[in-house]
Amino acid sequence: MVMKRREFLKGTAAVGLGSVAAGLMGKSALAAEGTLDIFFNSDTNVVEFWSSAIKPAFEAANPGTTLNLVSGGGGASMNALAERAFAALQSGTDPQIDMMEAIGPYHPEGAIEAGLWDDFSKLSLSNMSKVNPAVVDNQWSLPYRGSQVVMMYNGDKVPTPPKTFEELVAWIKANPGQFAYARPDLGDSGACFIERALQEVMGRDESLFTNENYSDEYAEPMFTKLWALLNDLAPSLYKGGEYTGGNTPSIQLLASGVITMTIAWSDMALVAMNEGVVPETTAVAQLQDLAFIGGYSSVLVPTNAANHEMSLKLADFLISPEVQNKVVSDLGGFPSINWSEMSPELQAKFANVATTSIPTFPGPWESHLFDGWYRNVASNLAQG
Amino acid sequence: MSDTLSTAPASAPLTKWRPTGLFFIAAPILLIAVFLFYPALRSIWGTIYVRQPDGSYAFSIASYLYFFSDSYSLTNLGRTFWTTIVTMVLLIAINLPIAIYLRFKGGRLAVFIQVLALFPMFVPGIVIVYALIRYLGPNGLLQTLLEVVGIGGFQSPYLTPWGPVIGMVWDAMPFTLLVLTAGMSGIATSAIEAAQDVGAGRLRILFSIILPQIKNSLLVVTSLNFLGLFGQAFMPFMLGPTSPEMMGPFMLRTFSTVRDPLQAATQATIVFALCSVAGLAYVRSIAKRRAAELVK
Repeated sequence: MVMKRREFLKGTAAVGLGSVAAGLMGKSALAAEGTLDIFFNSDTNVVEFWSSAIKPAFEAANPGTTLNLVSGGGGASMNALAERAFAALQSGTDPQIDMMEAIGPYHPEGAIEAGLWDDFSKLSLSNMSKVNPAVVDNQWSLPYRGSQVVMMYNGDKVPTPPKTFEELVAWIKANPGQFAYARPDLGDSGACFIERALQEVMGRDESLFTNENYSDEYAEPMFTKLWALLNDLAPSLYKGGEYTGGNTPSIQLLASGVITMTIAWSDMALVAMNEGVVPETTAVAQLQDLAFIGGYSSVLVPTNAANHEMSLKLADFLISPEVQNKVVSDLGGFPSINWSEMSPELQAKFANVATTSIPTFPGPWESHLFDGWYRNVASNLAQG
Repeated sequence: MSDTLSTAPASAPLTKWRPTGLFFIAAPILLIAVFLFYPALRSIWGTIYVRQPDGSYAFSIASYLYFFSDSYSLTNLGRTFWTTIVTMVLLIAINLPIAIYLRFKGGRLAVFIQVLALFPMFVPGIVIVYALIRYLGPNGLLQTLLEVVGIGGFQSPYLTPWGPVIGMVWDAMPFTLLVLTAGMSGIATSAIEAAQDVGAGRLRILFSIILPQIKNSLLVVTSLNFLGLFGQAFMPFMLGPTSPEMMGPFMLRTFSTVRDPLQAATQATIVFALCSVAGLAYVRSIAKRRAAELVK
């Protein structure tokens, strides 16, 4: 790929320095004993949560162990890290990765078959029995926190938010230019919106979409209906069909008062409201007929991790009631273990949420869905 | 210039075999070969020698045929050309007058202007992008200021094709100005004074004396900016419209979201082929200058 000159210079300089440093330091380039290198795909609020809630407790319980929390720098960089782990597995070297957060096990291709990721269904973690089976997407991903997509809106202009997807569509059309959602590949909030729309055109039947059943022939008629709905909606969106470049830009547009409603992650919306970056009248609401898709963020443990045993211990700690209670109280997330395992106060406080399940959407569908969206929905932009 | 070359005395001592010189450049060349050329060639090779469904490998240009028959990909390529060329024209139009000013005017104001023009070099791209969104975006500072002085109807360039153009002009400005001012400093004051003495006007001096002398700098700026702008991913990603995409974000998306490494490598190879035309122009201009310097 062609890079910007400045980046190119920086890159080559880094490569040069890196190889020199590796040569000088020899062995120290390997992962340090007792240091777990954990890479995050989630935003900084999650990394902060780890460093304030998980790291101190785990390090205190396991003397000599240090958690090295590293922001992975987005999906493409996380994929590159997964490729590194896979390459290390094939060459039998140290991947210098002990755990990866919030990515799926499907990249790189062939990694699952080669046994790159630990299969949690075959391990006997002491807390595994507490995990709510409904939130387990696949046996390699260990879910540890959930969050959900919500409608985020200006309460001044919208006294009663839409309760169903149909009402939402009616509201968007009645208020042209006042609604925006993010491009599906740049912010999962936008992805969740079009996935919810897909469920809507298919009669809200979640069982139609599974990790295994994607094929072009099967999806084609569904996608055709979806494109029709989204294209019908486009002229009523912000700027007659423009899409924001991610979760934060969506909230930014709402904050500047250009739009009245957008789609956002519950935890990011709550943080924005707490920090006062959006007007005080901002509110969030959830659809009542079928909730917006949420997701569980999971961790993956590479089987070739240098501190493999300790990584599994940490994984077990993540799904302990101790951490799960903090996920709810400190992070504004949902627990991945059964509510009956949670603290009684939290159980009482979240009684309403506890009963609703969070719909999820299978990852293998997304690459086809997103590319189709670019080709069939985004390419019809009025301004060309 | 070719005349001077052919009539020049043979410059044998300069081209003599010198192993020590080669030794000094061996390390960087090795690094480039190992970290750039080898992976790049591998990936280009991978686009024409393709794994077939049955697991065997065979020569195929199917991915190229797909690219050039896919109207979506071609529209993206067209948008990339449009953005690159518009940005380059704007860069020259903005920086050439500044460079001329800096060449002929001294003093504190000139220093201030130069510092101001080089300022973007010290600000990271991500900061600029978010600042531009806040400033140029809908209901942003610029719109508010315009409304204060009574100008309504501001259409924000954010999320339109002009968004990345503005961001990229900002980003590439210091480099463009540096090369142009360097070229300007080579113009002898005596040549201009001589032209003035025989009655040449300002435009005449610009077109007959200044522009011919900085031809090389203009060529360098154009070709290097083309390389940088054509593959830009970040600015169009953050400031541009959803579609058509520029090749940078399109390649990224094809690779990481569509998970089609073959098509992404094909797109990259096509971009590489187009950019090597600009690269060739740059190398030729450098080589020409070297040859001229050797003659001197």
